[in-house]
Amino acid sequence: MGEFKVHRVRFFDYMPCAISAMAFNRHTERLAVARADGAVEVFCFADNYFQEKVIPGQDGRAVEALCWVGQRLFSAGLNGEITEYDLENLRPRYTVEAYGGPIWTISSNSQGTLLAVGCDDGTVKMFEILEEIIQFQRNLDRQKGRIISLSWHPSGTLIAAGMMDMIRIFDAETGHTTHRLLVERGVGASKSKEVVVWSIVFLSDHTIISGDSAGKVQIWDGFTGTLVRTHLVTKWDVLALSVSPDESSLVAGTSEGTIVQFQFLSSTVDQQDKEWIRTRTFKNHSHDVRALVHTDTAVVSGGMDTQLVVRPLLDKVEKKTQESALRKIAFPHRNLVCCAKKAGLLLFQFPDHLEVWRVGESDGHGKPGDSLLVKRKPEKLIQLKTKGEDHICCSALSPCGGWLAYSTVSSVRLYRLQYNNNISITKVSRLPKELRWAHQLCFSSDSSKLFASSTHSTVVVVALNQLECKYLQTLKPKSGSRQPVHLLFASEDGKWLASANTDCEVHVYNLQKLKLHCTVPVYNSCPTAVAINPATSNLVVAHADQQIFEYSLVQKEYTEWSRKLQKQGLHYLWLERDTLITNITFNPKNPAHIILHDMFMFCIVDQSLPLPEAKAILYNQMTLRSLPEPERIRHSHAFKICKNFQHLLCVTLLEDHSLVVVERPLLEIMSQLPAPVRQKKFAT
Amino acid sequence: MAKKQRGETTSSSKTPKIVEQTDNFSLMLTSSDDEEPEEVTFEDAKTEALRSMKLALDGARREKELLKEKRRKRQELFQEQKKRKLLPADVLEEIDSAPSKKQKESEDEAEEEDQEGEEESRKKKNSKKMAHSRSLKGNYTVTTVRERASASCQQQTAEDFLRSRLYGPGSCRTTSNELLSLQNKKGKNKSAAVQFVKKDWACKEKAKAEKMKKRWIHKQQVSSC
Repeated sequence: MGEFKVHRVRFFDYMPCAISAMAFNRHTERLAVARADGAVEVFCFADNYFQEKVIPGQDGRAVEALCWVGQRLFSAGLNGEITEYDLENLRPRYTVEAYGGPIWTISSNSQGTLLAVGCDDGTVKMFEILEEIIQFQRNLDRQKGRIISLSWHPSGTLIAAGMMDMIRIFDAETGHTTHRLLVERGVGASKSKEVVVWSIVFLSDHTIISGDSAGKVQIWDGFTGTLVRTHLVTKWDVLALSVSPDESSLVAGTSEGTIVQFQFLSSTVDQQDKEWIRTRTFKNHSHDVRALVHTDTAVVSGGMDTQLVVRPLLDKVEKKTQESALRKIAFPHRNLVCCAKKAGLLLFQFPDHLEVWRVGESDGHGKPGDSLLVKRKPEKLIQLKTKGEDHICCSALSPCGGWLAYSTVSSVRLYRLQYNNNISITKVSRLPKELRWAHQLCFSSDSSKLFASSTHSTVVVVALNQLECKYLQTLKPKSGSRQPVHLLFASEDGKWLASANTDCEVHVYNLQKLKLHCTVPVYNSCPTAVAINPATSNLVVAHADQQIFEYSLVQKEYTEWSRKLQKQGLHYLWLERDTLITNITFNPKNPAHIILHDMFMFCIVDQSLPLPEAKAILYNQMTLRSLPEPERIRHSHAFKICKNFQHLLCVTLLEDHSLVVVERPLLEIMSQLPAPVRQKKFAT
Repeated sequence: MAKKQRGETTSSSKTPKIVEQTDNFSLMLTSSDDEEPEEVTFEDAKTEALRSMKLALDGARREKELLKEKRRKRQELFQEQKKRKLLPADVLEEIDSAPSKKQKESEDEAEEEDQEGEEESRKKKNSKKMAHSRSLKGNYTVTTVRERASASCQQQTAEDFLRSRLYGPGSCRTTSNELLSLQNKKGKNKSAAVQFVKKDWACKEKAKAEKMKKRWIHKQQVSSC
């Protein structure tokens, strides 16, 4: 096996962004999440909550609300614009200025024909949703305060708007207010501050439920405009409300990080007098909950602590199964770290800049588990800031460290790096016009070619010379898929290029002939990492449902080992892991090893050892160490898992056979979050 | 009635004092209450009255003049500031003849954005001529302007509103360190606050604590010897 010298890298100051809005599409089971920096992510709930698509943000685009209309995604923000996103090309399709000042909320009617936005100047503007664009239709009656939240009645005839100190019910046809519901201010010191109705829900039986900044959830009768019931839920604000599709359950998210559930039940045995009763409280977050979604079976919440939490409701799913587990998604499902293996350099991708670091050096040898003295500290070589407002979509560093490329939604930039006495970086000015933008960038192992994924799963190949860049070819898959490519891998021998797209297709191209070599049979879960073993030319693919496949490129079929693995099945503990494999590497010294990692562990899969039985202990490294040598061989199995390093962003192998482990402990992230509420606990 | 009564009482209480004072004076001065008042000629009285009137008029006039001066100075100051804000005369002439409202708005916005940047705005106009301009009859062009100034100002206000409602006064917030410390205290293995445990946290507090420790040790040494 051999030991590895491990570079523990903890100088990647990765800071995820707070979640500001969410919207769930029931038909496609996709959740759109908007972050505070304007980035929009799409998670596929049916595929183990895989983060399928990421649309990078933009300076100044502060998204406050998201809305799905069929398959189309709209967002509105404090910059006063409504944006429609192109989910195939991962960029905004167009923006429409609403001319009402900052927009606080956006909502569409259940028929999908009209889009209502609530603006800062007190108007509710109606936009018609047309085929390719949205068009302003009219304003409803202008009000004196800002419109913070909106909700359509399912019939599409009435709109409830939450404002400062009141709720107004508008008639959608005439635009006039039918009712004005006055919301009480808080008690004590907050009596002087206006109460903000942060969120509102209009049910089909004309009940309106509102959550406000005084911490109350109030239930109103929409016919008469009167208050039915008040529930004081928290001392701080109730920031988000969401009702289940069948309108029997409602969840309210607060600034404390708790989520309170209300259910429409009757307190007596007969079904007659049902009312909204407070049932459960979940404390999933440490900071404010700013966005909530109630699906058929789960409650999804996100807020200032940047984690997306999915809490399945135990009365809707089977208890004690994989389905009913609490899921927390903290890290992105793609690689933000690129390693230049030959040069010992690391590239860190931030939304608005890139950093290139050289790893430290250490002499000496030691026993397994020792920390070696660092002879030369890791140093930051380059910090490159993007020009313009767009955030970085993807980036890559060539294995020799001589080329650096990154792409935003509007342009690709390529730089030549030189490491003489001082480090110089020169921009390559004239790029071929085919290289307009890319979702994924990858250099070939000899740094002579750059691969950029473009629209509709195509890959653009450009050749790199000393200081210039020439277009070679565009590689197209046969399937004609319109989905973007999210994974690219160039083999070490320079013969193959593997690309995976969000349609779950994996295509392999022959780089010597520059055409499609084969397509791996489609598996119904999206690939999360691909790699090609340099020694055997086998393609290894890890999927979102934790399956691993190995495909021989030469013979164009699954390998023997892969078939054996499928027949026996993976260990249940492996399948129940809730974070996904984002990177696969190989050990040049031992071609039978596959090194994988997820957020909590990294694993070396030894193909020469037997696969673990279902009853065997999966995490058996500690027990094996305690056994004497001859015994070990009997009990060891192929999956060697190490949990010493947490929380992992990337695990790669350098050319000198040392392992680089990029850790970002969640504690460090938590320490830099904005202020949480002060709660006085007994005996502290 | 009561006031009058009070008035009477006060006056009656005052007079004896005054009488006392005059009595004191009478010791010093030769005049007393018995003597007749001094004779003042008509001429003297007239001149006296005229002088006092003139003084009063002069005073009033001086005040008016002072006010006028102040007002004039302020007006001048305003004019100067306005002149500073306006573009140089030649550029104004160019615009003056044209009914191009749009251009004026663009100039105004450019003014607002950058007080010193008159040249810059001109440059901007010139550079934008190529990309987003349409030439009308005559000597002027219409260019688009990026309305970032007003839009971002509103966005800033909205963000400030949100921040003040969530994190402003009265929102009862604490620090991440305290939150983590609470978790430490309530956890299974109770340990110290994270601030003390982590090496690179709270450097300022640690430096302050170090300084105080040194000062205390020094004090102890001084007091002992």
